[in-house]
Amino acid sequence: MLTIKNLEKRFGSLRALDDVSLEVEDDSIVGLIGPNGSGKTTLFNVVSGFYEKDGGEVYFKGERIDGLPPNKIAKKGLCRTFQVSKAPEKMTVLENMLLAAKRQLGENPFSALFMRPRVQKSEKANLDMALELLDMLQLSQLKNDYAGDLSGGQKKLLSLGRVFMLKPDMILLDEPTAGVNPTLRVQLMEAIRQLQKMERKAFFIIEHSMKVISNICDKVYVLNFGKKIAEGTPEEIQQNEQVLEAYLSGA
Amino acid sequence: MPIINFIIYLLTMIGIYSLLAMSLNFQVGFTGLINFGQVAFFCIGAYTSSLLVVNAGVPVVVAFLVAMALSGIFGYIMSIPTKSLKSDYWAIATLASGEIVRLVALNEAWLTAGPFGVMGIPQILKDLIPKDAYPVFYLLFVIACIIMVYIFLSMLTNSPFGRNLKAIRDEEELCLSLGKDTQKLKLQAMIVAGTVGGLAGSLFAFYIQFISPENFKPIETFLMWAMIIVGGRGNFKGAIIGAVVIQLFNVSTRFLGNYVPLGSDSMAALRMTIIGVLIILFLLFRPEGLIKEKKKVYD
Ligand SMILES: Nc1ncnc2c1ncn2[C@@H]1O[C@H](COP(=O)(O)OP(=O)(O)OP(=O)(O)O)[C@@H](O)[C@H]1O
Ligand SMILES: [Mg+2]
Repeated sequence: MLTIKNLEKRFGSLRALDDVSLEVEDDSIVGLIGPNGSGKTTLFNVVSGFYEKDGGEVYFKGERIDGLPPNKIAKKGLCRTFQVSKAPEKMTVLENMLLAAKRQLGENPFSALFMRPRVQKSEKANLDMALELLDMLQLSQLKNDYAGDLSGGQKKLLSLGRVFMLKPDMILLDEPTAGVNPTLRVQLMEAIRQLQKMERKAFFIIEHSMKVISNICDKVYVLNFGKKIAEGTPEEIQQNEQVLEAYLSGA
Repeated sequence: MPIINFIIYLLTMIGIYSLLAMSLNFQVGFTGLINFGQVAFFCIGAYTSSLLVVNAGVPVVVAFLVAMALSGIFGYIMSIPTKSLKSDYWAIATLASGEIVRLVALNEAWLTAGPFGVMGIPQILKDLIPKDAYPVFYLLFVIACIIMVYIFLSMLTNSPFGRNLKAIRDEEELCLSLGKDTQKLKLQAMIVAGTVGGLAGSLFAFYIQFISPENFKPIETFLMWAMIIVGGRGNFKGAIIGAVVIQLFNVSTRFLGNYVPLGSDSMAALRMTIIGVLIILFLLFRPEGLIKEKKKVYD
């Protein structure tokens, strides 16, 4: 589904991504771990088109996507969330969900003015879907609250809700469970696994919690100082000398 | 009854500026586009419609429509640099575009008669309306335009299109990550705003029947900003109320000049100072303006 070849990204003299190659297969859940500042978020930013790469190639569903703007990449079915959640201040939780909905009508002035009955119908369908998702994310109570007023954990949940509304083929999640309470965290993991099984979506997840990683990931990549230092199943990774060293020296 | 005439004049000017404030609010309050060149739409609308009628003998309806279209196209042109400029730098660029439009009107005398302006702009439907009733007729015409624009803009802001615009205003990167072509959305927003501004310009030209570059100085943009700061952004009622407050003050003090022992120059300066102070007071004590943006609630 996603293939990254020899990806390079430099910030001045800092090599944030140094010859990184990796692969996320169709309907798999892959983890990305590494110490703080190892380049994980940078990798997502380059893949999703927010940063320009300095070298290498990115393929999604066999098609080359590096160099495309972020919105084009998202439209192709590769979506992401942000480590620091983005929450439009003066838009309610429900508006956020509807904003993200896939295939909306009325997104340009012409259809907004002249196709109102059809727009309203599609809005209704999206609204039902949004309410269902909010229920799962335990955000129903807050549906009419401004997203800007949510807590950090709630914003994380909302960003998950939004990407689910988009129905992408592959989802990049940047620390989706940071700041989310443990019970809900387990439920989120469950939801992600469900989506992967039922809708055959691929996930690429940055996580610091080893528990989460070993719970749901089929495969894990490890970054350190912008370099890929290991890959394998969660069990293999946990025994890997180099990985342990990277984490210990960082701590 | 000069006082009645004055009130009708005042209301008509409030109406015309309400349209400009609504258009500006659509850009600033809904899309987050900081436009300091709003007067450009006003100027293009006024000149296009009046020149088409005076010099080319085009029917007024057609002239209005062409003026709105041209102003919309100018909105499109203004939106192009948003691609490469950050919003604060874009704001500076808009200030320049407002001045460029005025300077073209001032210097391209072959087309615009330069500083002399366009004179003899005819009254619309003059033969059908009794002379005494004409000011009221025109006021009603302006009000009808306001109602139409209000409905039209509200329909847009309440649609998925309007939701996208709000998301650009609040969190543009999020919008991109959700697959929205934010550049195209801004462009569409500017076209809509330009069209409304062009309508206001046309209404203005055919009301006062004489326009010159003097009418379209940057200070006009300043007044429109004052309106949305005082009235409140993110809703059109606020824009209208802001236009009422600011125009009431701006126009009425012009006539007060006759009774105050100050030269007209110092009166003008004093007027702007007071509006400036008003803006500062609002920003400090009521930054959301008189009318707050309404939350969209689903049940
Ligand atoms: N826009 C930027 N400009 C300059 N340097 C940057 C930029 N973004 C990231 N970096 C640098 O690149 C390196 C990798 O950062 P990145 O955010 O990818 O780390 P990370 O692995 O996501 O860390 P964390 O686990 O703390 O989120 C860091 O040294 C960071 O300072
Ligand atoms: Mg990170």
